Amino acid sequence: MTSQDSAETAADKLRKSRMTMAKKKKEAPVVVRFTNVSKEYKLYKTDRARFKSLFSKKIPYKTKKAVNNLSFELHRGEGLALIGRNGAGKSTILKMITGVSFPTEGEIFVDGTISALLELSSGFDREASGMENIRLKCSLMGMSDEEIDKVIPEIVEFADLGEYIDQPLRSYSSGMKARLGFAISVNSNPDILIVDEALSVGDKQFRKKCTKKVQEIMNDSKVTLLFVTHSLQTAQDFCDRGIVLEKGTKLFEGDIEEAIEFYDSRM
Amino acid sequence: MIKIIKLIIEEHREFRSQIMMLAKSDLIATYRGAALGWAWAFVKPIIHLAVFWFAFTVGLRHGKPVNGFPYLLWLMAGFLPWFYMRDMITGGASCIRKYKHLVTKIKFPISIIPTFTSISNFAVHIAITTVTIIVFCLFGKFPDIYYLQIPFYMLLMFVFYEAWSLFAGMLSSVSVDFLNLVKSFVQALFWMSGVIYNVDKIHNPTVRVILKFNPITVISGGYRKAFIYKEWFWEDKVELLGYTTTFTVVFLLALWAYSKLRKEIPDVL
Repeated sequence: MTSQDSAETAADKLRKSRMTMAKKKKEAPVVVRFTNVSKEYKLYKTDRARFKSLFSKKIPYKTKKAVNNLSFELHRGEGLALIGRNGAGKSTILKMITGVSFPTEGEIFVDGTISALLELSSGFDREASGMENIRLKCSLMGMSDEEIDKVIPEIVEFADLGEYIDQPLRSYSSGMKARLGFAISVNSNPDILIVDEALSVGDKQFRKKCTKKVQEIMNDSKVTLLFVTHSLQTAQDFCDRGIVLEKGTKLFEGDIEEAIEFYDSRM
Repeated sequence: MIKIIKLIIEEHREFRSQIMMLAKSDLIATYRGAALGWAWAFVKPIIHLAVFWFAFTVGLRHGKPVNGFPYLLWLMAGFLPWFYMRDMITGGASCIRKYKHLVTKIKFPISIIPTFTSISNFAVHIAITTVTIIVFCLFGKFPDIYYLQIPFYMLLMFVFYEAWSLFAGMLSSVSVDFLNLVKSFVQALFWMSGVIYNVDKIHNPTVRVILKFNPITVISGGYRKAFIYKEWFWEDKVELLGYTTTFTVVFLLALWAYSKLRKEIPDVL
């Protein structure tokens, strides 16, 4: 048996145990709820036109509907995959869940702290050291000083940056930044973990480490996972439900296997 | 309107511990990476002051003592708040752009950004104020009861530029044109204020009153009241009225901008 096989059977096992848990999860409390959510972007011809629109309603603009009348629920402990091509509205949905962006219509309910593995290397202060950035980012996520002190050793160990942890971030390679970002997001004990394409960055070894860590977190049945990806294999490993999106509209919602089948058949 | 004020207060309450930390890291980031580091906070104002002192006393042969104080001290007292105000006019307008990642990458209330930028600049202002008082002592002019007004004018200044940064920062995020407009007006605002001349000595009464609606005049003049003229802030009613009017306008504009643009800016930046 090759090592890849054993990794797959481990993933299989995890999935099966999660599938049996999934039935119980139907009764678990709702942590994310979208009710008829739509998001429209206003597109102006120039920045000047956008500025003018502050003072006059007559300035013409086009609208782009990124998300169209979307409703879904996510229960505690569940793993949900958002599947769809580029421009399906996945990133917009994630931005709205994290509270960065606001819906044009509809309501969003979120319960619990969110850690998003979105664009891992962004949001760092280039001049500050790795250590200072850990403190800064954790604090911005709403952690207290004691909580931060507690997780710092784990983060430092996971990021595995050696001496570089005390160097300014501008001297980091993009891989090192991603490692630090991942280490912070994953070790900050979130209630809801959002994973974008994050698992596809870095070298193979680091990818493996990340996948293992996410699996570890998912074994804890209290953590909810929202997964966005093109890689259907990874989605199958982590999630028990899937939503297929196209141009901001929900086409299908159901078991992850069925969702993937549906998505494949449309390709 | 009241809803927006409540919202801003609520956001500040929730993020109170992050405000001080971000102010600190903003301050450190400004002065890090330079060999002289913290010294730059003092070198820049000193050079600025020296240039003006040279131009007026040596070049224009103007600098006579004012109210028994050497001209240099008179200049210094008025310039002291100007350094903070100058940094806040442009820095406030660009602060939300500068901390874009806080807006577009994580959930973070935009109204906090002007606050910690302001606090960071204010820390430098406190340091320069201390140095100024020491210089006055070296000239044999020791603190008296009128110095009690300095915290009052500090508060006026802080509140005004907090509102200004929120308003200008929001508009600058939508349009770079606005930011450039602000930057090109800084010099104009400086020369149209009382930082380098005494507004009360202007002959044209209309101009004199108009200039008192420029908050730079009021604040700069306020510091001189405490340091040089030994007057109280309530003695000049026009000035108080001018400041209150301008502040109210900017404050309302800030609330308008915040309610209108708060949800749009994450999509635009």
